[in-house]
Amino acid sequence: MITLHNVSKRFGSFEAIESVSLSIKSGEIYGIIGASGAGKSTLLRLMNFIEKPDAGDVIIGDETLNHMRGKRIRQVRQSVAMIFQGYNLVGNKTVYDNVAVPLELAKVPKHDHEERVLESLRFVGLETLKDQYPGQLSGGQKQRVAIARAIVNQPTVLLCDEPTSSLDPNTTAEVLEVLQRINRAFGVTIVIVSHEMDVIKSVCERVTVMAGGRVYDTVEIEPTGVGKMEQSAEGFVERLKSGGEHHDT
Amino acid sequence: MIPDILLEYQTEIWVSIGETFIMVGFAILAALLVGLPIGTFLFLCRKGQLLENQAVFSSLNLIVNIIRSFPFLLLVIFLIPFTRFVMGTAIGTAAATVPMTIIAIAHYSRLVEQSLLDVPRGVIEAAVSMGASVKDIIIKFLYVEARSALVLSMTTSTISFISYSTIMGVVGGGGIGDFAIRYGYQQFQTDLMIYIIIIMVIFVQFIQYAGITLARKIDKR
Repeated sequence: MITLHNVSKRFGSFEAIESVSLSIKSGEIYGIIGASGAGKSTLLRLMNFIEKPDAGDVIIGDETLNHMRGKRIRQVRQSVAMIFQGYNLVGNKTVYDNVAVPLELAKVPKHDHEERVLESLRFVGLETLKDQYPGQLSGGQKQRVAIARAIVNQPTVLLCDEPTSSLDPNTTAEVLEVLQRINRAFGVTIVIVSHEMDVIKSVCERVTVMAGGRVYDTVEIEPTGVGKMEQSAEGFVERLKSGGEHHDT
Repeated sequence: MIPDILLEYQTEIWVSIGETFIMVGFAILAALLVGLPIGTFLFLCRKGQLLENQAVFSSLNLIVNIIRSFPFLLLVIFLIPFTRFVMGTAIGTAAATVPMTIIAIAHYSRLVEQSLLDVPRGVIEAAVSMGASVKDIIIKFLYVEARSALVLSMTTSTISFISYSTIMGVVGGGGIGDFAIRYGYQQFQTDLMIYIIIIMVIFVQFIQYAGITLARKIDKR
């Protein structure tokens, strides 16, 4: 579904991503974990070409993004949705209008908007808040609106950049449960970037551990148990392979 | 209730207010039609923004700065040949709209750029990730998120334009400020000048109040 082949990305003299290759299967929930500055968010942004690689290929489905420009790349992005740590909702739009934006961008006929927006909001359990503004919502509700916005145009891929880092444990569990339901109900391929071991272990089937802009290891994990948050790549791998135990950081 | 001296000059006062409205009205129109796009373009050409272009940004930035650096009286005089070229004359209310529109464009474009800088970067990033075009990002994200700041900027600009318009008497532009100078100050009718100042203060207060009220009403963040 998503293939990165020898992808590199520099910011000035800083090599953020160094010759990374990985392959994510269709319908998989895939994790990318690592300490701050490991390059995991940059790697995610390369998958929808918000960041363009200096070298290597980014392939979504059977389309190589490297040579795409303008309208073509925008069309690809409409099927590769993304959610963020900071939610990134438009504060001056209601919940309904926020969720409707991708439909407007994709030029979906206006008479279809209401049904699809309400369906998305129902899926994340926020139909009753459709007329509220983001400023009136809690962090967890905002993230669920962002998820509703991400799925309203029926994407094939959902990229999640630290989706629960600003949330408390209960709200984190709610958001992860919604992501799992999206994966099961629609077969959406989900890529989650996180520095939280518990998050990765509770929902992901495979995880790539990043360190210094490189892939340190890729591990298959059991979706049970929780692990200690280590700030080194070795620690991440060790916890992932061992099945883990619960520790606070 | 109304002072006799105002009643005595009411015809001239209404004409002067009309001239001020014409000059300020054209300035507002120019600010919206040209200043808003230029300010947006300035923002988009900045480092790290969607249309990052250092050469275009620096050039446009310099032009806006130069126009805004001019003492307005000197700008009006400096532009006389250009005004004559455009309007066929450098004298009168219509001719006065030329320097007014130029300063309005420079003034508002800078405020627009600054207003857009307050839009959270994440909102633009989300827009890009959704496949929005630059036009979509401007209309559906930037202007929506910055609308309150844009209204406040227009309020500030309008008040500045009223202030600028008082200078236009130099080129026969007329206006309420020019009336206060000619009929009040120069004819030693200080009371008339004070009444006109009071009228202008009330007018500015009203604009400020209306601007703040509207900005507050449309700000849902």
